Amino acid sequence: MLFFSFFKTLVDHEVTVELKNDISIRGTLKSVDQFLNIKLDDISVVDEVKYPHMSSCKNVFIRGSVVRYIHLPAAAVDTALLEDATRREAAQASARAKQS
Amino acid sequence: MADAEEGAASVGEPLDLVRLCLDEIVFVKLRGDRELKGRLHAYDSHCNLVLGDVEETIYVVDEDDEEEETVRTVKKQSEMLFVRGDSVVLISPQAPS
Amino acid sequence: MESLSIHDPPPAGEQPVKHQPVPPMVPQLPPQMFTTAAQLLDLTDKKLMVSLRDGKKIIGVLRSWDQFANLVLQDTIERIFVQNLYADIPRGIYIVRGENVLLLGEIDLDKDDYIPEAFQEASVDRVFTLQKKEAEDRKRKEKARSKKLRAYGFEGEHMGEAII
Repeated sequence: MLFFSFFKTLVDHEVTVELKNDISIRGTLKSVDQFLNIKLDDISVVDEVKYPHMSSCKNVFIRGSVVRYIHLPAAAVDTALLEDATRREAAQASARAKQS
Repeated sequence: MADAEEGAASVGEPLDLVRLCLDEIVFVKLRGDRELKGRLHAYDSHCNLVLGDVEETIYVVDEDDEEEETVRTVKKQSEMLFVRGDSVVLISPQAPS
Repeated sequence: MESLSIHDPPPAGEQPVKHQPVPPMVPQLPPQMFTTAAQLLDLTDKKLMVSLRDGKKIIGVLRSWDQFANLVLQDTIERIFVQNLYADIPRGIYIVRGENVLLLGEIDLDKDDYIPEAFQEASVDRVFTLQKKEAEDRKRKEKARSKKLRAYGFEGEHMGEAII
């Protein structure tokens, strides 16, 4: 749930999503779900001539599993908070592993 | 499992080693002929990562007129990068020099 | 396992996800915004461009879907781009299994059927032939590439899958 929560804090920020097939799509992050499927608004494709099929799209739903990277605005990320949340999540995960 | 030692510094399972790399520079090898070097800010059990001040190295194969192939590297910078775990091959605390 | 009955309270670690402490950085936005269903609901009855895992691009109206992003698309055309040409093929109704969906794009009705100037419409046969040739060429290059890069400890990412 860590990254789901993390991406919820980034809603309305500009991000660039790089897919595993090398397409990069820039847009405003509008929504994310538990599979890290994401929705971007006001999109632009970084290399439009190479990937022309999206030129008439205004917003896209991207399946989480096809994402390679998401480039984020560093100013929107509180790294200390994120590291704390990561440690907490790791502690929970190992507690769960011991229980079962 | 190392039940006895339960300090924050213990490494009982593989991802505990990754936890010790938080806020440190790590080297990450990825599928798709890519490597990353950057400061680790977050990870989860799927190996999803967030890295800061990242340098990405992509290995590209060029083919010249005589069908001779050469490997070239392309470097890219990113200030903050989320990496999806299913592309991650390995995470190393020590960046190769 | 000790003997547990169905009446025992669940152990702490097995509580439903929603009861777990949530990291403090979650903003106060309605949780129903953040489900697959909510994301697809907005796209229902809209004209979409659907990009599939095998590289096909389908344009049609989204009529039905479920939580796996299985889709029903009506009045579809398949649009093939190759070099500086493109062709449209009418395909009728599509049912797409969710795992094969890469991406759904809502088509801006103001820019409906906008195709970058660099591309000219051509006959289906011609585009098909060129596409086939391009695919073979790419396959050959891909083979040479993964052979070369194996020395660096890399393994192909797509491994036989089509690239968009």
